[in-house]
Amino acid sequence: MPATTEQAPAGSWLLVGAPNVGKSALFGRLTGHYATVSNYPGTSVEVTTGERRTTGAAIRVTDSPGIYSLLAVTEEERVARRAALGDGATLVQVVDASHLDRALPLTLQLLSLGKPLVLACNYLDEARARGVVPDVGALAERLGIPVVGTVATTGEGVDALAEAAASARSPADGWGTPQPFAAVLDGFAEGGAERLEAELALCGDPELEPLLAARSSERWRAAVRLRDAQWPTAEAFAVALATARRRMALALLDGVVPDAPQVRRRHQALDRLFLSPWTGIPIVLLVLYLGFYKFVGQFGAQTLVDWIERVVFDRWLTPYATAGTRAVVPWAPVADLLVGPYGLFSLGVRYAVAIVLPIVASFFLVFALLEDSGYLPRLALLLDRGLKRIGLSGRAVIPLVLGFGCNTMATLVTRTLESRRERVIVTLLLALAIPCSAQLGVVLGILSVYPSAVAVWAGVLLGVFVVVGWLAAKLLPGEPPSFFLELPPLRRPLLRNVLLKTGTRVRWYFAEIFPLFLLASVILWVGDLTGALRWATALLVPVVRSIGLPDGAAPAFLYGFFRRDFGAAGLFDLARAGVLGPAALTTAAVTITLFVPCVAQFLVMRKERGLRTAVGVLVTATVVAFAVGGAVGWVLRNVGGWA
Amino acid sequence: MCGTTAGCDGCPIASDFYLAETLGSLEVGAKATVRRLASAKGGDLRKLLALGVLPGVELEVERRWPAMVVRMGYATVALDQGLAAGVVVSR
Repeated sequence: MPATTEQAPAGSWLLVGAPNVGKSALFGRLTGHYATVSNYPGTSVEVTTGERRTTGAAIRVTDSPGIYSLLAVTEEERVARRAALGDGATLVQVVDASHLDRALPLTLQLLSLGKPLVLACNYLDEARARGVVPDVGALAERLGIPVVGTVATTGEGVDALAEAAASARSPADGWGTPQPFAAVLDGFAEGGAERLEAELALCGDPELEPLLAARSSERWRAAVRLRDAQWPTAEAFAVALATARRRMALALLDGVVPDAPQVRRRHQALDRLFLSPWTGIPIVLLVLYLGFYKFVGQFGAQTLVDWIERVVFDRWLTPYATAGTRAVVPWAPVADLLVGPYGLFSLGVRYAVAIVLPIVASFFLVFALLEDSGYLPRLALLLDRGLKRIGLSGRAVIPLVLGFGCNTMATLVTRTLESRRERVIVTLLLALAIPCSAQLGVVLGILSVYPSAVAVWAGVLLGVFVVVGWLAAKLLPGEPPSFFLELPPLRRPLLRNVLLKTGTRVRWYFAEIFPLFLLASVILWVGDLTGALRWATALLVPVVRSIGLPDGAAPAFLYGFFRRDFGAAGLFDLARAGVLGPAALTTAAVTITLFVPCVAQFLVMRKERGLRTAVGVLVTATVVAFAVGGAVGWVLRNVGGWA
Repeated sequence: MCGTTAGCDGCPIASDFYLAETLGSLEVGAKATVRRLASAKGGDLRKLLALGVLPGVELEVERRWPAMVVRMGYATVALDQGLAAGVVVSR
């Protein structure tokens, strides 16, 4: 047993732990920054790094995706595992103080790495309310590592945790693999990532097993022989080992955690209403109506947009900007680059700030409230059966709902899904049938004058969603997914957290889209100057006519190539000018919504799914958009009362 | 075969013949102890391990529809029938 007591490189800490234990909120407290924190498994997809600046040197703090056990199931869990096994950082395992028995097996695995480790017992306030406060001193003594009680939401215990992490040393006691499993791993030296990787590979880990089998070292083959001699399968070995670790954990916790009577979950009655389909489905519809239609669609996309556009821009900014620019820049084409019809200011900045910003911000606010309250996992459970029909599981709810905010962000979040098949289906549905919040807001804003148009638009999208999902599930090979999820307690969202999280997401979104808006302005300006724009628009006119739209709608489709919301915003202008009637508006809204994803989404699709899948999704989306758009246009023109 | 009907913790012999009851077959309100994980697929097994469904764990069924909701201590987990059918339990 290498009982190392050398000082750890105090320069970096890595937060690890299960989802919903307040890891990201603690990260925020430690760094002063804010990662998006939520009451849902799987919202920090990539590791987030921040800096802690105190009196001494700056310390790098990294937050990782939630992980229950090192035997990873999803891609994001593998990201967390790589982080934990990787560099020489001090590990800070964040656990729920009420659920120590569930977290300690992971602690034991991490201890076997021989790295400095600190245990943060978070949500101490909830443990107090339940009367199950653990004796952290006794636990620290038994484990030989610092154990600190914290409440990340209020900041309690955070300084003590930082102190403990700064002075943490490698655990003096060896916490290796328990017997008889350790004997199997004899060839691998204790206290390192290699041995733990071998252990996980022997448990049948789909990433590590092929890796070690390919290397086929003598010690690996010996370990496999020993395992196969005692356990019938890798799975049996995995279960036996996990059971042994659980027994160790329970023995360690004996006397540390008080034996409190089993109390019911908080908000049990409310939870029942959310989970039963009879009451749950009406609640979903109510949430959609109030949160998204009323708040995002009407308040965000109409009230706020109108005010920012008509008052802030038209009255306060644009007149001065235009007059000022024209006075300073005498040459018209250059002045046009700033304030012309496709100018950086008059088109790029105005669309981004006046139309897109209020809509996106109001969506992320609603999403953050849903996330922090713990409603999303309930929604996942409620919709699991329905989603199974289209080859998905309830877990797909998160990227799908997030897609209504930003499809690009949602495509990244598909990593929380287990199989490639699910990821591809969700990527396709996001690109095709899920409008992002900017689109949604603008489309609802345009169509709200005609309630029946909103109904047709929503019905067509839902139909496309179901049919395409069903077909994709039929055509794509692979096994149907299974559903599993921890239900965190329902928690009252803290306004501070909700606002900070909304701010973080809006900032991310803006960093992503603002340059694209400006780039689009420049391209359109160049196109306008050289005549290429007229040529491209003329090229699109027959396509636009083929689905029954007036020629004036062609530029909106052209803008749509740059950003989906950009195209929708173009339609907004047309609707204001009264060029399009209800039938044409509905057709245009359907086509634009289904149409190709924006540039940013395409780039993320290529990065996450590969070029072939990305191009496949693009082609599918284009064909479906115009086919469905054409059909809707034809039907509406031939139905009375729609002209 | 040792002939036991109780199925000792982690017993490699006890078969489904003796322990026919699975988590998926329990009614709402039933309390049981996990005896064995019988999932055929390694992927399903890793999911159960992630949820903390392990031999020796005591659980209570809170809901069966639209998916199983199971309470284990202070934690509540949801899983579908397919996964629950692979968990052999005894009362």
